[in-house]
Amino acid sequence: MKKRTLPVGILGAAACLALAFGTRTAQATQVDIPILVPITGFLSLEGNSQRNGAVLALEHAPQGIKAKGEILDTGTSPEIAVNAFEKAVSTETPIAIVAPILGIQMLAMLPLASQYKVPLVTVSGTAKITQMGNPYVFRFFPADNVVKVAQARYAVETLGKKRPALLFQTTAYGQSGEAVLASEFNRLGTPLVFEDSLDTGVKDMLPILLKVREASPDVLVLQLHAGSMALVVKEAASMGLEIPIVAGSAMHQPSTAALLEPDEMKGVCAETSSTPVSSETPAVKKWLAEYRAAFQTDPDAYALGQYDGVAMVLKAVEDGAKTPEDVRAYLSAKSFKGLAMTYKSDGAGNMAHSAEIVCYDGKTRIPKVVKRYENVDAAP
Amino acid sequence: MALIQLAIDGLALGAAYALVALGFVLVLNATGAVNFAHGDLVMVGGFIAIALAQVLPLPGIVLLPLVMLAMAALGVVFSWLAYFPLMRRPPAAVYISTIALGIVFQNTANAIFGAAPRAAPALLGDRVFQIGGGVTIGAQSLAIILVAAAAILAQHFLFARTRLGRALRATAEDRDMARAIGIPVTRMIALTFALASALAGAAGLLLAHKYFVEPTRGTDFIMTAYIAVVIGGWGSIEGAVAGALLIAAFQAIVSAYVSYAAATALLYAALLAILFFRPRGLFGERAQRRV
Repeated sequence: MKKRTLPVGILGAAACLALAFGTRTAQATQVDIPILVPITGFLSLEGNSQRNGAVLALEHAPQGIKAKGEILDTGTSPEIAVNAFEKAVSTETPIAIVAPILGIQMLAMLPLASQYKVPLVTVSGTAKITQMGNPYVFRFFPADNVVKVAQARYAVETLGKKRPALLFQTTAYGQSGEAVLASEFNRLGTPLVFEDSLDTGVKDMLPILLKVREASPDVLVLQLHAGSMALVVKEAASMGLEIPIVAGSAMHQPSTAALLEPDEMKGVCAETSSTPVSSETPAVKKWLAEYRAAFQTDPDAYALGQYDGVAMVLKAVEDGAKTPEDVRAYLSAKSFKGLAMTYKSDGAGNMAHSAEIVCYDGKTRIPKVVKRYENVDAAP
Repeated sequence: MALIQLAIDGLALGAAYALVALGFVLVLNATGAVNFAHGDLVMVGGFIAIALAQVLPLPGIVLLPLVMLAMAALGVVFSWLAYFPLMRRPPAAVYISTIALGIVFQNTANAIFGAAPRAAPALLGDRVFQIGGGVTIGAQSLAIILVAAAAILAQHFLFARTRLGRALRATAEDRDMARAIGIPVTRMIALTFALASALAGAAGLLLAHKYFVEPTRGTDFIMTAYIAVVIGGWGSIEGAVAGALLIAAFQAIVSAYVSYAAATALLYAALLAILFFRPRGLFGERAQRRV
């Protein structure tokens, strides 16, 4: 009897261990992060980048975490975004929500985020979303007071230009950037010699560029959406406008470069938070290959920023966050080394504080990083 | 010289706008309904050109008839979906159905081609010709002007000199009378949709090379067509062309002397003045003959 007791005891203990281990493996932490982004409408290019970045981050969830996220289209109106939010929280409050890039939709969602106490993780550039004292919003993309400052400083300090001209879009995006650019050029002692705004429907860029030329600037600064950006750069090359162009982040997007011939982009630079297609970092190169394999397209800075945002939420869960409030506290206090940069909240939810300048050499559509700016946040 | 250059660029832009406005006014005359999806049909034409170019890497001039044929077929389908089932309902029903189909087109293009702007192939290449005095004209601009002129003349010939054109005109003038004298009215209306969509397709290909195309671009085009038709005279073909050229003149020439915002404001001020002093538009009287 005694002879048989020992093996049975050992077997029993082993079985218990195996059961316990097996149960732990099976009970991976379930995490729900709905993805509410504009998949249709005028911001769908950026919205699809957001979606792709978030989806890839969920697929790359740390071991032991099973992440899922229903994708809901927010279109272009605040109402649709609010409906999507209500649907996302209808069964149970998710641990965080990927929120749309469109500022007006973010502003509509902020009160709901406070009401349901769920963190919003976004790449929206609208300054106001982090100026309303809402503790549930986290922006993983540098705001205008980072990237526009870098853009102006590059034109003046690096290129040595003193007579900047500015073309900006009439949209909220364009006007928000214009305000920071004009202020920064004044601060640098090189006020704008010419500025004008463009509606997104404007197709013929020759008239405006003739006026730019008349003002005799030594650098052209652009704050435009992708389509207008490509039209201006194309026309500038066609008419032989022989001054450098320092453009906004739309110019770094692979889809914008695809509209132009490489020689049309010679000497054109752009600000951005990151340029995945140009990165020399092994981790980003690996990520780039995975992104291309998953989505058959090149990623932009929005995709990488959103990837990093969701990755930080999952890191919070890995480090023990169990509720949306835990995640909010983690995002508010901790720093996170993402693929694009290191993120840390400034107390208002602005997580990204770095920008880089990329330039095209006229031979390829892949820009090269020429300068990086760290912690250049101007006063909001 | 700058003014001449601006005028040439404006003429090319206006010629493409004229094609957009022509298709719009054709359907307006034939059915009395405003096709709010017409701008989206222009967008679809641009994307069909891009898709064809991927399969057949040929110059745009070769693809143009194929795009127009494909768009003509789409126009017939469009008429059976958006117009015929609702033709006896209040006009608002047709407006809504065209808006709905336009949204379907936008989202379909978004799903297939993505949201980013895309460029269609050039009609005759990207060469730039020196005219003299530093004034140039690009091959694409020249092609746009020539194709638009050819399309307008062909349409004029069709309506003025052919039996089919007379049947189309009779249908537009008085549908019941046309039916009474044996004209197949339903077929004529479907054919009008086909013609209008083919013109939209041509405009889409022409515009999508120089000015790119994206799924939401149709909104700009329908606004342009609508304003052109209001300026020129509701239902007038000549008026639509004149209105399109006037819009392009404001965008290409006036905006060189004042800001774009001011040029746009002046365009709408001109529109209001025309509505006030000439409510039937610049070619209002002649609009009595509807096609």
